[in-house]
Amino acid sequence: MEANTAKFICRCQEITEEEIYKAIEDGATTIKGIKDRTEATMGLCQGRTCRRLIERMLPASGEPSRERYSCRPPVRTVKIGDLLKDESSKGEFE
Amino acid sequence: MSSVDAVVIGGGVIGCAVAYNLAKAGVSVAIVERDDICAGTSAACDTAIHLQSKSPGLHLRMAQESIKLFPELQKDFDEDIHFKKTGTMIAIQTREQNEVMRVFAERQRNNGLDVVILDRAAAVEKQPMMKGDLVGATYCTADATIHPQFLTKGYFQAAKKYGAKAMLHTNVENIALKDGHVASVITNRGNIQCKYVVNACGAYAPFIGKLTGLDIPIAPRRGQIVVTEPMPKFTHTIVNCARYIAAKFRPDLLGTSEADRMGIGLSLTQTERGNLLIGGTREFVGYDTRTTQKALLYILQHAANILPALKDIHIIRTFAGLRPFTPDGLPILGNVPGIEGFVMAAGHEGDGLALSAITGRLITEIICEKQSAYDFDLTKLSLERYKNLDIKAFEAQYAVYK
Ligand SMILES: Cc1cc2nc3c(=O)[nH]c(=O)nc-3n(C[C@H](O)[C@H](O)[C@H](O)COP(=O)(O)OP(=O)(O)OC[C@H]3O[C@@H](n4cnc5c(N)ncnc54)[C@H](O)[C@@H]3O)c2cc1C
Ligand code: FES
Repeated sequence: MEANTAKFICRCQEITEEEIYKAIEDGATTIKGIKDRTEATMGLCQGRTCRRLIERMLPASGEPSRERYSCRPPVRTVKIGDLLKDESSKGEFE
Repeated sequence: MSSVDAVVIGGGVIGCAVAYNLAKAGVSVAIVERDDICAGTSAACDTAIHLQSKSPGLHLRMAQESIKLFPELQKDFDEDIHFKKTGTMIAIQTREQNEVMRVFAERQRNNGLDVVILDRAAAVEKQPMMKGDLVGATYCTADATIHPQFLTKGYFQAAKKYGAKAMLHTNVENIALKDGHVASVITNRGNIQCKYVVNACGAYAPFIGKLTGLDIPIAPRRGQIVVTEPMPKFTHTIVNCARYIAAKFRPDLLGTSEADRMGIGLSLTQTERGNLLIGGTREFVGYDTRTTQKALLYILQHAANILPALKDIHIIRTFAGLRPFTPDGLPILGNVPGIEGFVMAAGHEGDGLALSAITGRLITEIICEKQSAYDFDLTKLSLERYKNLDIKAFEAQYAVYK
């Protein structure tokens, strides 16, 4: 029986506090390390809600990291049809 | 100084697969990764355990043996790796492509892969979303999908379960030899005495080679991918196109437009959460992992041309990864001439997930000096096959240090 006390850290992806701590135990020291092990921060809000919370859980004395955590385009979700109205991409495959 | 039998350098899918197999076979092993697992290409890729994208012959046969191993891996791992048989359809858009794909599929059938070619009507009936610009499609049920990061994590955690020592955030700075034999690995966190060192650094493998004076012809070949919002089931198979196959093996067939030179070809898979991954490119731009607006527009335009319903879907993210490309499309595996104990396990181009399971097995057979369970011609995978290659010309042609 699953007790209904699980604390969700990443609400979009439904990742619990316990899963985050397990990832840290496995060696994660960065947001990317957590993301690759749990899928946290990869939801519709792209980590806007949960990234801060997770950062606070990471070991303070963190291992040296080469992380180049970057937010890649698009910053907002955009419809493919709207993007393709862009003139610059016309003509290549027609 | 600590001491193990084997040091595996690189915590991507290949290094973790090798460490897992070695540890399971009872070899004392340390996995040394300068950053974290999945720091390289193994978290910047698609999800396919693909057979149809393998060249008929050794390449395809390795993938066929590899795919058989995933159900067994899943049983041995604690967490779900999302291995699922899905099949693939490859859209064919012109009569010329149809001829090339007909021959390709026939050769694959001779290798025991059951690929059929459907005309347009049959293709659209099978995959109603695929009603765009195409004259037909291949169809094969043998291909599968997987969760790349969870696969790497699965190998990593199981390796630790069997006793492998994990050394993350540990950079390999040098390799010490003694009498032509590997003696120890020198890292920023101390030295590790060992008899074997496995170079599983993917696109970065040439830098590890240089430490011992080895020239390794591997070049980073960038692939860009677009991720959409989660969707209900969009297609019931992986979808590729004939251009994708050409971009991989014969980019010279593509033409000379800007999109052709970027190696634009369709790959479409769907994760368990419902996100579509839409690819992709094949570009030689050195170690540049940025995404470009141009490529993303070409990718989406081409994809929507084949699957028009994509136009109504939102994209949420983009990423790029570096495939470890080799001149003949096969990975570089096994011993190297002149340095006893130095073992290669890199250069899997766009096939590293698919070939990870068989690579782990083969490298373990080599290190344990066991009779192989497979009849692969290992000389075709050896570094020595490139002994006459002009490495400077290779590096220049493929923009290695651009
Ligand atoms: C866009 C794209 C789509 C793809 N799609 C698929 C697919 O659908 N199916 C498939 O099978 N394959 C696919 N691939 C290919 C697959 O991702 C690669 O073949 C695979 O990830 C390579 O794994 P690797 O372990 O060799 O390299 P990596 O994952 O790059 O691992 C190498 C590791 O070595 C470490 N390292 C480097 N130097 C040092 C050092 N000095 N000391 C310690 N550690 C070091 C790095 O930090 C890195 O973590 C795709 C690739 C791309 C780019
Ligand atoms: S809350 Fe984690 S991605 Fe939205």
